[in-house]
Amino acid sequence: MSKVIRLGYVHLRVTDLEESRNHYSNTLGMEVVASEPGKLYLKCWDEWDHHSLVLEEGGVGLVKLGYKVESSEAMTEFESRAQRFGVTTGRFSAGENLTVGEGVRITLPSEHNIELYTEMEYAGTETGAINPEAWPRNVRGVGTHWIDHALMPCEDPGLNERFLSEVLDFKTAERVVTSMEEPEVIGTWMSCGESPHDIAFIKGPNGKLHHFAYHLEDWSSILKAGDIFAMDDVPIDIGPTRHGITRGTTIYFFDPAGNRNEVFAGLGYRVQHDFPTINWTVDHLAKGIFYHARELNDAFTSVFT
Amino acid sequence: MADPKDVENDITVLPDGLHVTAVGEETLLKALGRAGLRYRVGCKRGGCGVCKLHLLAGEVRYERPVADSVLSDDERVEGICLSCRAVPLTNVVVELQEGDRLRRVLGFLTKGTP
Repeated sequence: MSKVIRLGYVHLRVTDLEESRNHYSNTLGMEVVASEPGKLYLKCWDEWDHHSLVLEEGGVGLVKLGYKVESSEAMTEFESRAQRFGVTTGRFSAGENLTVGEGVRITLPSEHNIELYTEMEYAGTETGAINPEAWPRNVRGVGTHWIDHALMPCEDPGLNERFLSEVLDFKTAERVVTSMEEPEVIGTWMSCGESPHDIAFIKGPNGKLHHFAYHLEDWSSILKAGDIFAMDDVPIDIGPTRHGITRGTTIYFFDPAGNRNEVFAGLGYRVQHDFPTINWTVDHLAKGIFYHARELNDAFTSVFT
Repeated sequence: MADPKDVENDITVLPDGLHVTAVGEETLLKALGRAGLRYRVGCKRGGCGVCKLHLLAGEVRYERPVADSVLSDDERVEGICLSCRAVPLTNVVVELQEGDRLRRVLGFLTKGTP
């Protein structure tokens, strides 16, 4: 298991901050915990750190992802391994990101910016840590639990897989290869803990976002999320359906700036230390992505922000 | 002056030459969708650029900000519009991207081709 704990924050560009506030706060149910001119900070009710989403007005797509790390020693080790691998790294100081401590900035081979950090101000979940209720009664809209993972396109998923594995100790839970005989990696789903994926990459342009996902409790929560998207006129890309890869149940949908979001439920299995990586051959890619339809829509491989 | 909500503009969609009416502040995408027509679209929210059309005649406006990374100034000058965000100001003639075609999902709403 990696000393990276989880995807801690997503920093996203949106064209209109107020429309996005409505989407992330009222439709998805996140809480706005802080704001600055042109920026909003939000968290889900089941998250305990200060925020998990930063919205910045102007443009679309991903600014960066933050991954929380166990200790400063682990962070320094990751930094030196990244340098040996040959990618650009840098340091940022405490407070450069609101309530976040110092950390290491890494540009992945795919040009995505990842920030490693060990400290963020503690806020607590809405149900608390002493005799908690099952869920807060005032939860709005979908009531997303936490930000779970992000998937990005990149020109060489195999190289990113090697980076995440060798530098950050992520384990490949599942991958898509051209064939078992000549396994060029087309997509990779990687875990830092026991969840089927904390980060994933598929073949496409560097530096862009395919989607980031929210964890929901179960399949019926996915259905209810779909109902809320219908009520709030949120464009749905696909679903409710199931992914073959990760076995998660899902809806892909779009925020008001066109960034793809996902609601994702069902930890179909645990990625234990000796978990055997699952391989999908590219002729089964469509079933791997959309298990029921077994056909990719145009958007899956063309819509990025 | 007429209420903007009542303004009607004619949209000619090439290569089929089909006519659709845009009412009020409807986007091109909305007007075509209401007429039961489908074509290649992505996020429908101005983020991905998949639904771009060639604007061959007429004028459109954008009521929401459109990111430069999605629709560049050069593209605007060349007459490319982002159909999920573009609202016709006048009668317009648009053409689908090469390789795309109109699909009719509500046959009873549209007559003639396609």
